[in-house]
Amino acid sequence: MWKKEDVKSQRVPEAGTGISTGSLAAANNPAREVSTASVSSKASACISQGIRIKGEVTGSEDLFLDGHFEGTLNLSNDSSLTVGPNGEVKADIFAREVIVRGRVDGKIVGREKIQLWSTGNVAGDLQTERLMIEDGAVLRGRVEIETGRPIEKRDEARGAAAGSSKGGGISVSSGSAAN
Amino acid sequence: MSFLNKLGIGVGAGAGSGREVSRAMGGSGRPRNNGVSPVAAVGATRTAELRESNRPSNGLKEFLWNLEGLGRGALLDLGPAWQTTLSFFIERGFRVSSEDLLRAWKEFLVEEEGKLHEAAGRAAQHTLDVSPSARAARFLEANLQYPHSSFDAILLWDLLDYVEPVVAKQMVANLTELLRPGGVVFAMFHSKKPEGFQRYRVVDSTSLQVISSPVLCPAQRVYQNREIQDLFGRYRTMKSFIGRDQLRESLFIK
Repeated sequence: MWKKEDVKSQRVPEAGTGISTGSLAAANNPAREVSTASVSSKASACISQGIRIKGEVTGSEDLFLDGHFEGTLNLSNDSSLTVGPNGEVKADIFAREVIVRGRVDGKIVGREKIQLWSTGNVAGDLQTERLMIEDGAVLRGRVEIETGRPIEKRDEARGAAAGSSKGGGISVSSGSAAN
Repeated sequence: MSFLNKLGIGVGAGAGSGREVSRAMGGSGRPRNNGVSPVAAVGATRTAELRESNRPSNGLKEFLWNLEGLGRGALLDLGPAWQTTLSFFIERGFRVSSEDLLRAWKEFLVEEEGKLHEAAGRAAQHTLDVSPSARAARFLEANLQYPHSSFDAILLWDLLDYVEPVVAKQMVANLTELLRPGGVVFAMFHSKKPEGFQRYRVVDSTSLQVISSPVLCPAQRVYQNREIQDLFGRYRTMKSFIGRDQLRESLFIK
């Protein structure tokens, strides 16, 4: 069962430099496998397997995406996105931290960190301060490590906008969703 | 017999490995592993499944020497996205692009096989041109798509041994276009047909880690020195180092 706490525990110990050379040893633990059948109510937001969304998602909460998504995914500077093992994303992604366990076609901007797990498959450029790639992950794209400065003005502006929206949460707009 | 079988990539190739992935990069659906686990990683819990060994690499040493003083150069790594290799070059200021071309080739062949079956079930006018040159053209239309003169250095590894010769030739031509004048290609060639399949990652500036892996594609050809020179005829300098493991490391400077 997927819980928000699980995601926190998945995080790799902080590395001092931009690139961590440590393998995601903990990621190999089968006990951590995410059940895609159900999601804990403690999860901030979840697009689960079988859900298809086209459009734009913005928000200031952590998001777990295990379904299909096409469009743009903008999370605020404090939020993390996890693309689950069944997730398929065709979108540019902006978030504080991005964990990829499924498939992503598009640019990923993870302001603080991007993690590609062994089942992760990314076709697109990566832009972040810290990158962790588990063995077996597939990457087709350019890697830009930019330590110590904002990644994009657009990201900041979006974060501010998301932060100002009362109640936070994830909003889906100008799109269509189908199960 | 399908061309996939001719190339030794048919169903069952790499049998015994049991850990092969055939996820299509551009496929519409998400292929499942059907009980087999993903390609091997060298994580703490997986080391038992893989054999690794370090080997000194004069080619890598020379490659790095040629790149000294480049500043923020651009590097294209055509092997798997290993954390250690990417970290090694990023920490030295390189902007790294990664594209596992051999995996892409394997997936391309599987897709081609599927298209061929589809075409066989349809009218004759929809037949697919399965000549090696047409296949090479289709593969390279979908891969290695970067602007000309994008890179200062390319890690080609032993890729050319595993693709069809016509693809190898066209691939080298394309890579030459991607490389800036003075740019360097690091390639490896087996002096005899390799028995297993292995991939490589950078350990430090003088050595590589050799990782025995499930067979992704069987070797297609063993290139002789003269043939290698012909392949890289447009390069002004070629330098080779032969290791004890019969692996020839070559540097080509444009």
